[in-house]
Amino acid sequence: MTSTIDATTGDTPRFVRADGPDKVTGSGRYTADLTLTGMLHAAFRYSDHSHARIVRLDTAPARDMPGVFAVLTQADVPDVHYGPSVADRTLFANDVVRYEGDVVAAVAAVTPELAAEAAAAIVVEYEPLPIVTDVEAALDPDSPLVHAGWADYRSGDVRDRNSASYSSITKGDVDAAMANADEIVRSRYVADASHGAPIEPRAVVAEWEGDHVTIWTSTQVPYDARAGVCETLQLPTNRVRIIVPHLGGGFGGKCGFHFEAHVAALARVAKRPVRLKFSRAEEFLVPDRRREGMVIELESGVMRDGTIVARRGRAILDNGAYTADAGFFPQVAAMHIAGPYAIDHVAVEAHIVYTNKQPSGSIRAPTAPQACWAAESHTDEIADRLGIDPVELRRINAVDEGRVGPSGQTYGEIGLRRCIDIAPGLVGYGDELPDDEAIGVAIGWWPSFSVPSGAIVKLDDDGYGQIVTGAQECGTGAVMTLRQLAADELGIEPERLRMVYQDTSVAPFDLGATGSQTLFNNGRAVVAAAAQVAEQLRQLAADRLEAAPDDIVLAEGAAHVAGTPDRSIAIDELARIASGGELLIGHGSGTPPAAPELSGSSCIGDNGMAAWVAPQFSCHAVRIRLDRDTGVVRVLHVGAAHDSGTIINQIGALGQVEGGVMMGIGQALTEGTRYDDEGRQRNAGLLEYKLQTCADAPPITTEFVQIATAGAGPRGAKGLAEAPNVATAAAVANAIAHLVGRPVRHLPMTAERVWTAMHRTAEQEAAS
Amino acid sequence: MSFTIANTIDDVLTALAAGARPIAGGTDLVVGARQGKAPLPADLVALDRVDELRTIGPEPGGGIRIGAGVTHATLVHDATVVGAATSIADASALVGSPATRHVGTLGGNVMNGSPAMDTGAPLMVLDAAAELRSLRGTRRLTMTELWTGPGSTAAEPDELCTALVLPAESDRSGSAYVRLEYRRAMEIAVVGAAAAVTLADDGTIARLAVALAAVAPTIVAVDVSAMIGHRVDDNVLAAVALAASDTATPIDDLRASADYRRHTVGVMARRAVDAAVRRAGGEPIGVPVNRSIGIGVAS
Ligand SMILES: Cc1cc2nc3c(=O)[nH]c(=O)nc-3n(C[C@H](O)[C@H](O)[C@H](O)COP(=O)(O)OP(=O)(O)OC[C@H]3O[C@@H](n4cnc5c(N)ncnc54)[C@H](O)[C@@H]3O)c2cc1C
Repeated sequence: MTSTIDATTGDTPRFVRADGPDKVTGSGRYTADLTLTGMLHAAFRYSDHSHARIVRLDTAPARDMPGVFAVLTQADVPDVHYGPSVADRTLFANDVVRYEGDVVAAVAAVTPELAAEAAAAIVVEYEPLPIVTDVEAALDPDSPLVHAGWADYRSGDVRDRNSASYSSITKGDVDAAMANADEIVRSRYVADASHGAPIEPRAVVAEWEGDHVTIWTSTQVPYDARAGVCETLQLPTNRVRIIVPHLGGGFGGKCGFHFEAHVAALARVAKRPVRLKFSRAEEFLVPDRRREGMVIELESGVMRDGTIVARRGRAILDNGAYTADAGFFPQVAAMHIAGPYAIDHVAVEAHIVYTNKQPSGSIRAPTAPQACWAAESHTDEIADRLGIDPVELRRINAVDEGRVGPSGQTYGEIGLRRCIDIAPGLVGYGDELPDDEAIGVAIGWWPSFSVPSGAIVKLDDDGYGQIVTGAQECGTGAVMTLRQLAADELGIEPERLRMVYQDTSVAPFDLGATGSQTLFNNGRAVVAAAAQVAEQLRQLAADRLEAAPDDIVLAEGAAHVAGTPDRSIAIDELARIASGGELLIGHGSGTPPAAPELSGSSCIGDNGMAAWVAPQFSCHAVRIRLDRDTGVVRVLHVGAAHDSGTIINQIGALGQVEGGVMMGIGQALTEGTRYDDEGRQRNAGLLEYKLQTCADAPPITTEFVQIATAGAGPRGAKGLAEAPNVATAAAVANAIAHLVGRPVRHLPMTAERVWTAMHRTAEQEAAS
Repeated sequence: MSFTIANTIDDVLTALAAGARPIAGGTDLVVGARQGKAPLPADLVALDRVDELRTIGPEPGGGIRIGAGVTHATLVHDATVVGAATSIADASALVGSPATRHVGTLGGNVMNGSPAMDTGAPLMVLDAAAELRSLRGTRRLTMTELWTGPGSTAAEPDELCTALVLPAESDRSGSAYVRLEYRRAMEIAVVGAAAAVTLADDGTIARLAVALAAVAPTIVAVDVSAMIGHRVDDNVLAAVALAASDTATPIDDLRASADYRRHTVGVMARRAVDAAVRRAGGEPIGVPVNRSIGIGVAS
């Protein structure tokens, strides 16, 4: 089944998000809106160098200022190294600063202005250390080290000096296959780092009551934030409560643990609530969540009939100063430079490498847009070399049912072929185009993440109820869709269920708004919890209707006996009866589906990211116009075909695809970080870091390929938040390459870079 | 610290004489202060309720008088401006977003003195004069006299810009402004060019002026006197592009390299002249040119 959704026709199921009216009318409260009695304001003192040893740190000038209640450095907090992949970080820079946003000290004072003044008054003297900015040079054995003590850090990753994590995937015999190939195509691509750039700069408020702390924070992952606070401040889990008010977007940038501990520590010393509120510049520069820059080299052995027989590839990812959650990135990047292709002989590898720049971390589909951009540009270079239509080349090589992917995973029924068949046609592929227009096509993939998750569902005496969940809403609408799942189990309207979420002391664990996992895992938990309540309702109804519980059907607000709708009782009535008895409460987590088996491949540095549960597939086709005089590219139409399993909330799903595509267009054309020679970002603001605007949005036509996938989530749903961000930049690149005559090998493909590529001579191209 | 809400020009002049700074839409002043460019002045006088500053009308003796407090949103739709000073409407239509255009003013754009300002090149090619008033009197400066460097003008601190005055336009005249932009809203000119042309009865160029934005410390005029008397064709347009590129003294910055700016400002100048000539010939090219025939036109 495929479905084309047209948001303008209105004949799709309407589903008003519970948080929508609040957000649209401005009545919704975000963390920065909270003000507590006696609240102080936090400010950080950041590093003055990208790499230097602290030789003197004197906080007295700040502490002595009237109105300053707390000044903290690493000396004031437990001596704990933390980090989800490599424990390479402390709350405050200890003896060495490693990037411009490294926090050296924190201040709490009566006004934000005073806090900033006090932070500036702290005296820090440094001895400069050599600055590492180039990822390739950083791998050189003679390169200065970003972490001299790297070998002592706790980590499960494969590491060596500046290489913070390494992964490879090997299958077959690449050397032999290359030797027998008809043609060998080699390419090199460089992607600049970019940002998630959520509209809400982050904020944290902390307040202690006795030895318990409550932290309101703009996080996508409340339980992760709690774990970070507990680890770094050495507190047991039960003393820390995380609450998330409305979240103004995250795009991965608010995954992980960020500054909650700093603010909690300030509040404890100051004996007052403290609020930290980031400026836009801080939001750009400081968090360990940059979309990493990447250098990608690819080599493919191909046959004249279009078969790709061998793929060699290497990606070097810019880790920045600390590893954050990026330890698994090399393996995902390796999967993306191999691509969703059934290539028999594969040898791909990736390093994530320390530099003295802002740390990288999960931004929407981490590694995928850049790696897919390179790999899919390379696919078009192969098509060009062989004189085969690029869409046809993808059909020939794409993974499909019964075929084996690059990491040795054999697929069941999947929708990639269907996506390839659909997307190009959505934008008129094959039609005659004006000579300044072209269509580019690219395919992408992304895993579903199978992890534990829990939920509670209860119905009150009036037949209305709550879903109590640890799932976090970051704007995707996934949490809002949970109501639909529970309502269907219970036979009531989704509007009867309220979401109670965003509070770690109330709800069961969930991983949070990360990895497109909310519907996949928490949906499973909510269905399990609702099923328990449904069972209770059926039992109650069975007693009243003199039927077997298994014969009771819950639908349209009533319980009736199967086959005889007249023998029914309202769920409201059952709820009233239950309120005098054992109450209607269900809880659940469900069993996370197991990872598929891999065969015939070997992985060094295996993070479990080479075997993909219920993988998602996509094909994007993009029609562009190029202004040949200036290199300015305008996207005219995007066609997106996605296999993300069953679509439960169509309007929400459409929003995810459109948002992912727009982010992809930004990555393709305008969004890139720029650095000076010392690793300082020069465009940390919305004027010079150019996001796409509504005025730039082209028509986006989406089709969903909905087939039953083994290991999928509730009702066959997979994830959808990240998948639409994978292939767009690549498709734009391929369209540009058609018009320029060669790929633009640097992401973002800014107007000036396109224009430069157009005017490059053959020799310059060969040398590049 | 003071904030004066003025109702008349005299209120404003009194406040300025006492040391206050004018604030119109605040989209440069307040945003700049937030970004740390310069602290917000301690004493401000607000112009937004001064009706006399918000009118567009005929100038006694010919020409058009545009109040300094007229917003970009008004300029985009005003029949007089769209009809006789189309390039200003082209420019105003590109400023920021609907919100920016709703509060941002022509006077603020001009007096802020940014070399990347969008209305500057149109005003220059239309031979506009800035009317400056203070308690000491009134004077008029040409745009070349007014802008003295990036962010600086020849106006004294106590002088208010009351209006931009345009001379009467001859028949068969047209003007246009085109800018290079990487996205279609919330953008700032990478480079821009305006052209104003009057055609003689035989279709040759009787008057031509070209000015450039964001390629020099101020808006700069291009010497295009050699084109007078010629019929506009590809050779003339190529010569305009070359002259514009030669006039530009651009810098490398985050938005573009100097080389790319030098090249693209020539492209913008050629497109501006082409559009201005077509308008002079009566062809209705919608405002802004960027969305009608320029860069990144949607299908
Ligand atoms: C998001 C955004 C996008 C923008 N996009 C653009 C763009 O695309 N193109 C562009 O050109 N500009 C742009 N700007 C800049 C700005 O909006 C314009 O320059 C606008 O015209 C300024 O007008 P204002 O009334 O807001 O000026 P204000 O900020 O009020 O004043 C600017 C300066 O002029 C002085 N001033 C104001 N009025 C007078 C007067 N009558 N006499 C004497 N001095 C005066 C003020 O004291 C101040 O120094 C943008 C700004 C923002 C915030």
